Amino acid sequence: MTQLLLNTLSLGAAYSLLAIGFVLVLNATGAVNLAHGSFVVVGGFLAASLGAMLKLPGAIVLPVVLSGMMLIGGLLSLAAYYPLRNRPAVSVFISTISMGAILETATLLVFGPSPRVGPPILSGGSLRVGDAVLNVQSLSTIVLAIALVALQYVIFSRTVLGKRLRAVAEDREMATALGVNVNVMILITFGISAALAGAAGLIFANTFYITPGDGEAYMIKTYVAATMGGWGSLRGAVAGAFLVAAFEVLVPSLPVILPWAVGALPSFGALFSPTASTIWLYLAFLVVLFFRPQGLFGEAVQQRA
Amino acid sequence: MRLVGRTVFAAALLLSWSASAEETSLTVPIIVPITGLLALEGTSQLNGANLAIAHAPPGLKIKAQTVDSGTAAEGGANALERAVGDKNVDFAVAPLFGTQVLAMLPVALENKMPILAPTGTGPVTEQGNPYMFRLYPHDAISKAAHIRYVVDELKLKRAAILYNTTGYGQSGFKYMSDYLSKLGGEVVFSEGVDLTAKEISATLAKLKAAKPDVILIQMHSASIAMVIKQLAAGGVQIPVVGNTTIAMPATAALLQPSDLKGVCAESAWWLEKGANPMTDRFLDDYTSKFGAMPDAYAIQQYDGLMMALTAVKSGARSAEDVRRYMSTSEYQGVAMSYKSDGKGNLAHSVVIVCYDGSSLTPKLVKRYDDVVAY
Repeated sequence: MTQLLLNTLSLGAAYSLLAIGFVLVLNATGAVNLAHGSFVVVGGFLAASLGAMLKLPGAIVLPVVLSGMMLIGGLLSLAAYYPLRNRPAVSVFISTISMGAILETATLLVFGPSPRVGPPILSGGSLRVGDAVLNVQSLSTIVLAIALVALQYVIFSRTVLGKRLRAVAEDREMATALGVNVNVMILITFGISAALAGAAGLIFANTFYITPGDGEAYMIKTYVAATMGGWGSLRGAVAGAFLVAAFEVLVPSLPVILPWAVGALPSFGALFSPTASTIWLYLAFLVVLFFRPQGLFGEAVQQRA
Repeated sequence: MRLVGRTVFAAALLLSWSASAEETSLTVPIIVPITGLLALEGTSQLNGANLAIAHAPPGLKIKAQTVDSGTAAEGGANALERAVGDKNVDFAVAPLFGTQVLAMLPVALENKMPILAPTGTGPVTEQGNPYMFRLYPHDAISKAAHIRYVVDELKLKRAAILYNTTGYGQSGFKYMSDYLSKLGGEVVFSEGVDLTAKEISATLAKLKAAKPDVILIQMHSASIAMVIKQLAAGGVQIPVVGNTTIAMPATAALLQPSDLKGVCAESAWWLEKGANPMTDRFLDDYTSKFGAMPDAYAIQQYDGLMMALTAVKSGARSAEDVRRYMSTSEYQGVAMSYKSDGKGNLAHSVVIVCYDGSSLTPKLVKRYDDVVAY
C-alpha cells in the first residue's frame, strides 16, 4: 500500500508539472497549446541522449534540459502563436497541433523510432523501510516536482518578472497599458511551460521510457487534469493531476486494497482492472463537466478550446 | 580497324544482353512497423529483411519497397493492397504484429500472394490460408517449450501471467494457461496490459498479493521492459520466464543488467560465432551494418526471406511457384531448419535463454527441437 501511495504521489507530481505548464500558457494567451505533449517527448529524448552520452544522473542533466526546452518553447511561441495572436483562438489551437506533429516527427527523424531510456533523477533501485520497498526514482520525482513548483511559485510571486507574467495572465490589455511588453512575457511563459514539460519528460523517460509517439497520450492526460481541476487554475491543475494519477494507480489497485470486496462481488476485480479504470477516469471527467463545468477549483466557466 | 571495333561492340552487346537475360527482376515489399509502439521489433525485422536482400543469391535483381505498417490493425492490409499492383511482386514480407497479419490474410488470399511473417500469434496459420507462411514458431510450439521449461526444469507451477491485450499477447496467454493446467499447474493471477499503458504498479500489487512462484510474460518489447524494470524496482524476487522480446538486445538495452538477474525467456534463436560459415557471415555482416546484435525477429526474417529468394533463384517465376516452394521445400537457415507443417508454420525449434545479472546478453540454457503442441 505504501508503494502504491508513493507511486500515485510520484505520478501526480510529474503530471502536475505538465498541467501547470499547460495552464500558464492558457492564462497568458487565452489559447490551448496542443503541442504541450510534444514538449514531454522532446524533453524526454533530450534527457535520454544527454544521460547516455554523459553517463550522468537526471538531476545533473536537468539544467540543460530546462534551458533547451525554454528555448524550444520560446521558438514555438514565435512560430505558432505570434503570427496568429490576433486571429480567433481556434487558429492557435490548430497551429499548435501542427507544431506538435512537427516536433514529434523531427524527434522521430533525429532519434529514430525506438524507445529510449532516460537517466534516473538520482539513482535507480529501492529503499526498504520496514516492510515497504520504496522506489528511489518515485521519491526523487516527488522531491524534484516540489522543487520545480516551488521555484515557479517564487518566480511568479516574488520577482518583478513574475509580477509582469501574472499581469499578462490576468489582463493582457491592462498589462500593455501599464508598459509591460506582453509579447516578451508570453514568449517567456511558453519557455517556462516547455521547461516544466521537459522536466516531466526527463522523469517519464526513466520511469516509463519515451518514444516519439508518446506526446498524444500525455497531452490528453494534461487536458483532462486541467479541465477537471479547474480551467485556468494552477491549484486546480495540480489537483487534477493527482486525480488522474489516482485513477491510474489507486483505482485499479482497489481489489488489493479492499480484498473483502472481491469476495463479496466476484466481478470486482474486472470492474477495477487497469483497462476498466480508464473508463472510470473518463466517466468521472464527464461527471465533473456535467455538474461542475468550471472544474473542481475553477471559478467561472470559460471556453475550453 | 573498323571491323575490329564493330566486333568488339557486338560482343559487348551480346554479353550485356546475356547477363540481363540471366538476371531475374523482382520487387519485394517489406511491410513492417517501424514507427509506433512496435518500432523496436519492426526495425529488427526490417534489418533482417535488408540483410537477406544484400545476401540474395546471385542473378536476382531485387527492388526492396519498405512500407511502415505502424500499429493500426489495417496498416499491413492497406500496404499489401498497394503492393500487389506491381507485376514484379511474387511475395511480401508481412509485419511481426499478428493483429495486422490477420487483417492481411484476406488480401493475400484474394490476390494469391504469399506473405512471410515472423509472428507467433496463433490464429494467423489457423485460417486455412495457403498463402500465409509463419517464420517464428507458432505460440502452440513456443509456449509448449516455455511451459515445459517452467514445470520440468524450474519445478514451478503457481504462475502469474502478464500479457499485452494484443492478438500476440492473448494468443500466448491462452496457450500458457492451457499447457500449465495440463501439466498440473495453476494460474493464480493473470492480467492483460494495454500496449499503451505506462503505469502498471496496480497490476504488480495484485500480482504480488496472489503469491505466485513464477511470473510468465507474453508482451511486446516496450511493455515487457517496463514490467521487468518495475519488478526490479519493487524488489520482487519471483522468477520470471518471458517471451522472446525480452531476449532481444534492443529490449535489454533499456534495462540494467541487475534488473534482468534471473530473467529467462523463450526464443527461436541462438546463434554462436564459429558454428558454421553461414552463421558467421550473417553475424559479422549484421553487426557491422546495423551496429547491434541481431534478435529473433531479424534472424527469422532473414531466414524466411532467404528461403523465398532461394525459391525464385530455383526457378519460381510466379507467386504460385513461390507458394509451392515454401509449402513443400525444406530450407536450412542460420537459426534452424524450416519446413512447412502443411499450415504454413515453418519454424519448429525453441530455445530458453537466461540472464545472470552481470550483462545484457543472455545465455543459452535449454534447446527444444521439433517441438509439438500438447
